[in-house]
Amino acid sequence: MSNLLQEIEAQIAGAKTEVAKENVGIVRETGDGVAKIEGLTGAMMNEMLDFGNGVTGLALNLEETEVGAIILGDFTGIHEGQEVKATGKLLQVPVGKSLLGRVTNALGQAIDGKGDIQGDTTYPVEKIAPGIVKRKSVDQPLQTGILAIDAMIPIGRGQRELIIGDRSTGKTTIGIDAIINQSRMNKAAEAAGDKDYRPVYSIYVAVGQKRSNVAQVINILEEAGALEHTIVVAATASDSATNQYLAPFTGAAMGEWFMDNGMDALIIYDDLSKHAVAYRQVSLVLKRPSGREAYPGDVFYLHSRLLERSARVGEKYGDGSLTAMPIIETQAGDVSAYIPTNVISITDGQIFLEGDLFYQGVRPAVSVGLSVSRVGSAAQIKAMKQVAGTVKLDLAQFRELAAFAQFGSDLDEKTQQQLDRGKRIVEVFKQNQYNPLSVPTQIVTLWAVQNGKFDDVDVERAGEFKDQLREYLETRKKELLRKIEVEGKLGDELEAEVSDSIDEFKKTF
Amino acid sequence: MKISRQAQREAKQLFQTCHIDGKLNDDRTREAVKLLLEKKPRDFVAILSHLHRLIKLDVQRRTADVQSAIELNDNQLTEVRESLSKIYGNNLNYTFTKNPELLGGMRVKVGSDVFDGSVLTRLSNLEESF
Repeated sequence: MSNLLQEIEAQIAGAKTEVAKENVGIVRETGDGVAKIEGLTGAMMNEMLDFGNGVTGLALNLEETEVGAIILGDFTGIHEGQEVKATGKLLQVPVGKSLLGRVTNALGQAIDGKGDIQGDTTYPVEKIAPGIVKRKSVDQPLQTGILAIDAMIPIGRGQRELIIGDRSTGKTTIGIDAIINQSRMNKAAEAAGDKDYRPVYSIYVAVGQKRSNVAQVINILEEAGALEHTIVVAATASDSATNQYLAPFTGAAMGEWFMDNGMDALIIYDDLSKHAVAYRQVSLVLKRPSGREAYPGDVFYLHSRLLERSARVGEKYGDGSLTAMPIIETQAGDVSAYIPTNVISITDGQIFLEGDLFYQGVRPAVSVGLSVSRVGSAAQIKAMKQVAGTVKLDLAQFRELAAFAQFGSDLDEKTQQQLDRGKRIVEVFKQNQYNPLSVPTQIVTLWAVQNGKFDDVDVERAGEFKDQLREYLETRKKELLRKIEVEGKLGDELEAEVSDSIDEFKKTF
Repeated sequence: MKISRQAQREAKQLFQTCHIDGKLNDDRTREAVKLLLEKKPRDFVAILSHLHRLIKLDVQRRTADVQSAIELNDNQLTEVRESLSKIYGNNLNYTFTKNPELLGGMRVKVGSDVFDGSVLTRLSNLEESF
């Protein structure tokens, strides 16, 4: 017995408490949310640093004798001589379905007062985009519910479509409409028990915006019942530039989780102009060399690595997609400025919103000539292709003729007809905000214009006609709409039925 | 004080010439500083202060700063020396200080590496975990 005791005693004496090796540094200077730290010889790029008292930093500049770090959170308590520890970890944020319906900051912490976010999965904020092998071509549509976009500039799941335009031309509204439409379609599919429908979850990233604006967006989403399918990541104007710089990457990490787990997600970066400005500030206080317009040399890489993370991946690699809709604000319609050209070249197309159109009452103010979608047409459903095939051309011709017709009053019959058709197409494309349309309704409306059903309606009353037609279809012709949705294309029989329905409605108008 | 890139480069060159067989030579360094002060080249104050920093970091890398709550006996001193020389090699300088604030245990700092086995740190870690 005593032997056993001795053995145990010897083992206890031999057991040493492990002391881990730590890498530390001393703060040499601090200011503007940035600290220069002496020491930290083992620090890695983008590694999290522990400043104590719950404040963390991110090592961004590894120099010969010091490390330049950005401070996340409250940087006012940091002083010279303070000890900083390297953690050996990259910055991680919580991901998963538990975030849906929540509002978080750039670090993934809840800021909506609904308690802590539950969930044990985390993703690194900076992640390498999926490689070539993992990717699959974009061939499923992502319906925004906006007729002008779904018909002429279709967006596919996994695409990156830029929304660009001057201040207050309706850029955010397009993003919000798209989010509301995803939520409506998710709910409709759930109610119908449609197992084939892949729900789309949305992420709205607000960068450098006014808090009142963000609150307004959240309110709109809540009223439309879309918040339950949405994550809002907010780094507002009053947050530090560091947080504004990180927020889009945080949102992308949350979106990637859906992509990796066989789901589809839509992410809206509102907006990347302010993101570039925040990154410029961070770079300048870190004393990195500046380039054009004082942006650092890697501002292109900043946006390209962010947007490359949007993809559609194959069955073996997650079978999901992340669609990105970045927003860029231009100054006086100048798309050839530095950041706009960068982002235009990175994305797979852009929706250009024009101030002039907006003030003429054409809302959404999509400029047809300047907007393109480079991959989305492969994702359009057949019925939509049938009715929308020539709309873009018709509109372009109309614009040209309309400019020409201003000079003369005598026009031949064909020109007059084209002008009349064009005016009606413009009216049909006008749409109220936060009121996305279902795909079959869009198809029937467009079919009606293309087949001359609007021709005998006054241009002034075309808008009214369109609205009432939609109401009629959605209340009285549910069966027809359902049939179009299921079949996915307009056969002769279906076309005849559509034609009859419209004629029937016309009698009451 | 703002130290220009040029001054940083020159200080680094000077720092490297003060090395003999990969080790900083004290005499040569003293001479270099003396010459700098005599000849007063352009920006010599900035060069000197950057050189000072490089030397300070070099000295820190080669010095083990051992703090303990109570004074260590000879056996413990040799044990500490032996185990540190296993990691950092033989040419390490040692400074041993008594720091009762640690409450118990030891804290060893070599350059920016820290081995912290003090009771104070464990208590504060425990405090943070709640």
